[in-house]
Amino acid sequence: MAGAAIAGGFPSISWAVQGDQLHIRNYLDIASLDPPFSLSGADGFVQEAIFLNLLKFKTDGSWDTELDAAEYFEAVDDTHYAFRLKRGLMFSNGFGEMTADDVKFSFERMIDPDLNSINAPDMGTLSHVEVHDRYSGTIVLHSPYAVFIPIAVASYGIMSRKAVGSVGGRFSTEPPCCSGPYLFREWQAKRKTVLERNPLWKGPDAAFAEIHIYAITDAKAAEMAFEAGQLDCAEISVESVEPLQRDLPPDSSLQVLPSGRNFWVGMNQSNPALQDLKVRQAVQYAIDAEAIVEATWFGLAEPAMGPVPRGMLGCRERTLVPARGDAHKAKALLRESGVELPIRLRLDIASDTLYKTPAQVIQWSLKKVGIEVDIRTHDAGTFMTLGQEAAGDQWKDLQLFFTSFIGSSDPYYSLVWFISEQMGHWNWERFSNEEFDRLNGLAQATNDVAERDRMYQRMQDIMEESGCYRFISNGVMPQIVRNSIKPAFTPDGYGLLRGFRPAPQ
Amino acid sequence: MLKFITQRSLLALLILVLAVALLFAMIHMMPGDPASVILGPRATPELIAELNQRMGLDQPMLVQLGRFYAGLAQGDLGLDVFSNRAVADIVFEQLPYTIILVLAAIGGATLLGIPLGCFSAINRNSLLDRLTAVMSVAFIAIPSFVVALYLLLLLAVKWRWFPAMGAGESGDLVDQAHHLALPALALGLGWVGYIARLVRASMLEVMEENHIRTARAFGLPEHTIVIHYALRIAVLPTVTILGMGIGAMLSGALFAEIVFSRPGIGKLLHEAVVTRNYPVVMGSVLVTTTFFVLSTLISDIINAMLDPRLREGGRSS
Repeated sequence: MAGAAIAGGFPSISWAVQGDQLHIRNYLDIASLDPPFSLSGADGFVQEAIFLNLLKFKTDGSWDTELDAAEYFEAVDDTHYAFRLKRGLMFSNGFGEMTADDVKFSFERMIDPDLNSINAPDMGTLSHVEVHDRYSGTIVLHSPYAVFIPIAVASYGIMSRKAVGSVGGRFSTEPPCCSGPYLFREWQAKRKTVLERNPLWKGPDAAFAEIHIYAITDAKAAEMAFEAGQLDCAEISVESVEPLQRDLPPDSSLQVLPSGRNFWVGMNQSNPALQDLKVRQAVQYAIDAEAIVEATWFGLAEPAMGPVPRGMLGCRERTLVPARGDAHKAKALLRESGVELPIRLRLDIASDTLYKTPAQVIQWSLKKVGIEVDIRTHDAGTFMTLGQEAAGDQWKDLQLFFTSFIGSSDPYYSLVWFISEQMGHWNWERFSNEEFDRLNGLAQATNDVAERDRMYQRMQDIMEESGCYRFISNGVMPQIVRNSIKPAFTPDGYGLLRGFRPAPQ
Repeated sequence: MLKFITQRSLLALLILVLAVALLFAMIHMMPGDPASVILGPRATPELIAELNQRMGLDQPMLVQLGRFYAGLAQGDLGLDVFSNRAVADIVFEQLPYTIILVLAAIGGATLLGIPLGCFSAINRNSLLDRLTAVMSVAFIAIPSFVVALYLLLLLAVKWRWFPAMGAGESGDLVDQAHHLALPALALGLGWVGYIARLVRASMLEVMEENHIRTARAFGLPEHTIVIHYALRIAVLPTVTILGMGIGAMLSGALFAEIVFSRPGIGKLLHEAVVTRNYPVVMGSVLVTTTFFVLSTLISDIINAMLDPRLREGGRSS
């Protein structure tokens, strides 16, 4: 069969943008579309198209929100949010009109202890939802929670109480009903999810009759699928940007979008080799973040101002340690510390190019000041537990590590992992600062934007002053797109399917 | 023959039980806490404890293994911790894609390799024999993932004769065959060379046997001698190798599935190992091991059918 195919050949075929279809990559297969149990952005990517929220993110590249299912949404005070639903919003599969009771059901099940939702922390201080009539209600918090709107209200879908009840109280990859501009049609495990236009949808028309969302974990495979004409839009790898810019596939364009991911070098200050603040500061000054950014992202990214990316509330205007570093100052700090050179440190990383390249630059940087670095690579599953007490005593041997976290739509999400409570869990530096913890609590609890901005900037200063962190970059999210498509992305480079449109001719 | 099949089947079952136990131990020796990997940054100590309990990881290893075998006896491979779906459903959704890929690869390799080997043996030392030898060694030497990448770049990306990803639309056999062609070729090409060399060597040996000379003396047509008298015996080592080859192809299928973004058990298993999704790992390993053991068993049975001496416990030629 294979031989006959080679001998005969086939005419070239493009499957993408067949009339009214969109073919797009998802970086992972969906695990669960049920909001309490959705595990990653891959789930959120599909949820955004098929479920309504009270509010949704605008498709203008900002983190601003606008009304979605709600025709009215206002903060009554710091702990009460009043809403009124639009009339006539229908759930599919005969589950009727969306009501305030469905909103109550959807929010409260996120914090239901019997469901044990992994996403319950995102609901913050949610207490309950009061229903006033068929369409209106009030969301009540125990205490002020400034990130409630971007992280809770705009991020999880409203479910039909009847529909979820009909499937036993929870579902995974096949929702019992939808409410958004697209309907879930089918899921082919490890292959693709197919959505179709919702005939009951009353809002602006869904732009495509069908959306085919392919689960392609490997960026190179996605690039080749795009070049072969099978995808309309795909996130690609950073190292492919320059070759593609030189030789772009026909009728396509590259967009290098900012990313919300935070890449940094962490130092376990409980390790004997790094207990001296001056040694840690020497490591900070020795590391040339500009060189790392150039080598890893080929000049497409910028050195980070901190975990909070540019353009987001709380982003600093400068770092305490210059991006280029300062080898002379590093050597002076090592002399002041009295440590005998050379010293040998271990740098742990996950086995991905995005970590291996920076590790080599870090090794080179530190060697210049008399610090020898042994790089140890681990598979992702092993690396994720290196600093965790629950996994054993291996955290005691941890010294330097290069890692990253994905942020979200609020600076809270970039910084909450470094509080004292997270020590032994995600705070591998074992960094603990009373002011930092206090500011974290205050910044969540105030809606004063200027005050939050000041607090988050101060928190990043404290992190840097501790010597435990060397911020490197927030990276980039390169996307390749057909010119026949007008895409829509969040400010951190993730697709908003509802905003995708055919490009004007 | 029945006694032979029974003995081989019992041995296969024992191999399966031991292999699963060994792999179970290996998986649990891997560093990394599955709950943290699965739950990610939102993993609170309470959630981790609940997940560990749900996965049975708070139990001693022998207890976990015992529970697995007990569930297996009832056809229950457990639940996937990500989606809460039955592992059996997940594994058997993916398995057909890999089986089809492996069978297509080995079938294609056999259909090409045996005639090539035969031809080479009959036309020994001819130009075509030498060309076939060079090609066979080249096919064997090039790793299958390299072949896969070049096929993808040339035939899918550059010329667009074949799709670059996926397994084709359900229910559309032509489309599915179209999607299968390149991955099967990538996976099977090395085996074309290997089978060709094996059959050639075997044929050359068999063609020198007395019974072949006798058949020629009786005036039988050459093609009858080659096919009915020589090839039937010469192909025996190939049948044995094919059984083992299926096992090798199961691991090679992983690369084909990643490069061509195909669904399949290789990719499922790889992702499950990386994410420490133990139930899916165990379910996948069990199924692939069963497949491998079954294919070896079938090849033993076919060998015994072709060579009656094997049924009596004698050695094959």
